[in-house]
Amino acid sequence: MLYEINKLIRVHQGRTILDIPKLVIPAGKITSLIGPNGAGKTTLLHLLAFLDTPSSGTISFRSSPVHFVAKELHLLRQRVVLVDQYPILFTGSVYKNLEFGLKVRKIEKKKRRPLIQEALEMVGMQDFMNAEAHKLSGGETKRVALARALVIKPEVLLCDEPTANVDSENQEIIQSILERANGREKISILFATHSLSQARRLADQTVTLKDGRPSELSRENVLPASIVGQDEGRVICRLQNDVHITVPAASHSAGISNVQIFLNPAKISLLQSGEPFAAQENLLPGKVVKIAGGNGQVKITIDVGVHVDIFLSLPEYVRKPPLIGEAVFLHIPDEAITIE
Amino acid sequence: MDLIIESFKAAILLILARDHELLVIVGCSLKVSGLATVFAAVVGLPLGFLIAFTAFPGKRLTLTCLNTLLALPTVVIGLLVYTLISRRGILGSLDLLYTQKAMIIGQIILIIPVIATMTIAAISRIDKRYRTTAQTLGANSCQVAWVICFEARYGIIAAAIAAFGRVIAEIGISMMLGGNAKGFTRTMTTAMALEYDKGEFILAVALGIILMGLAFAINMIFQLFQGRVGADAV
Repeated sequence: MLYEINKLIRVHQGRTILDIPKLVIPAGKITSLIGPNGAGKTTLLHLLAFLDTPSSGTISFRSSPVHFVAKELHLLRQRVVLVDQYPILFTGSVYKNLEFGLKVRKIEKKKRRPLIQEALEMVGMQDFMNAEAHKLSGGETKRVALARALVIKPEVLLCDEPTANVDSENQEIIQSILERANGREKISILFATHSLSQARRLADQTVTLKDGRPSELSRENVLPASIVGQDEGRVICRLQNDVHITVPAASHSAGISNVQIFLNPAKISLLQSGEPFAAQENLLPGKVVKIAGGNGQVKITIDVGVHVDIFLSLPEYVRKPPLIGEAVFLHIPDEAITIE
Repeated sequence: MDLIIESFKAAILLILARDHELLVIVGCSLKVSGLATVFAAVVGLPLGFLIAFTAFPGKRLTLTCLNTLLALPTVVIGLLVYTLISRRGILGSLDLLYTQKAMIIGQIILIIPVIATMTIAAISRIDKRYRTTAQTLGANSCQVAWVICFEARYGIIAAAIAAFGRVIAEIGISMMLGGNAKGFTRTMTTAMALEYDKGEFILAVALGIILMGLAFAINMIFQLFQGRVGADAV
């Protein structure tokens, strides 16, 4: 366990901006933090980076309660690093920026250059070592900021919307950097994002915040859809890539054509080849594309034209584990579908 | 008109000839004002930084007081320091009156608010993310402070330059606390006033040219630093 939050409240100018009864962030994993603007994502990241103090409640880091006093916070900040949504680079060269964290950790001068070289190579910015930091583009700045965070080999990397306001090429690069940092460097990562597809692609676990509180509703499968017709008391919804599902007409307000559909991953059934099933509504063929474990359950991502996550308990998974690339069917019962 | 032209010509010749009296006066001015700026910076820069960097009750009132002190007339400071260091003052035993030290003390009081307020403005302009970035990278309080000062360096240097410009051109403190003693406490401004009283315009004009030249150089440097601040902010 990396972080454990209990009854955490953060009040700012009389307004409660964060109210989390309980939240556990696992160690060694990638956790995404999803929520609309103003949901409290940045505040939570600042608290977890020990840059802000809760109004009440507790945060435990690696099973030790955090005391928000200057000396302890300084020590904790040596282990956790936050990359801002709009990172700012210090005046000077890219090298000087990366050297800063090493300098404050009193790393010998001769050892700094290879570490900096390695970090820049990791983000694909090795040719920019002597470039003026303030002359970099937005995407390059984000990558250098990530390198500056990674060069100090933190236990935890917190990223506030790491791919916001960068082009698709840099988005792809940044996502790969995060994956490598977690996979190769074993750094626990927590990142805030608006992108469900990014959360789905990168994260082992997703935490949803709404109005400063963890949302009860699972955000694993939030899919934009359009209503394209009705058939026998059921509304036909078209998802991306011409995937169709139907919902009872009663669950949809008439007149709205563009909706969001939530598919509760705990209530979706996975049917593997050879398993008997009757002809049913919302039976979608697909392929297993990702399997991730944690917290006693296994998250399996199925590509049915759109990516859909489902959760299996560990015994369920062990009984007949699906394989990456295996053709399967998903059955999405009505009770798994919420339409907004 | 002839008087002006003749005075101007004679003044240029005086400067080119490196007139001894002229050099002594200019040297005294530079020494007193230079030292006053250094000592005021030692107090004013950290004071300005602390006020800008920390949140404390009464911060707004402190800022208002500092801004008010910017308008303090030099003769008021002269009078205040005079009451302290004159024979009947509490520091009378130190025998400071009509010395360069007395002038320096007065000028320090004059420019500490200038340096402090300009430092506050320079630090306040620095993006808050510099602080959190330095903190999250593991910097301690001193290292964070250094990062912010480094980013605000042009504004801070501009504060010191502006303060020097203020004291090199002041006359009230120099006259009241220095006494305008020839070869000892006579500065460019006090000498100009004396020469004017005597009707001797040549030395006054020569000193005026040097003072204007210094003021121009200071402003050039000031503009240079201000320009860098503006360019960095873009």
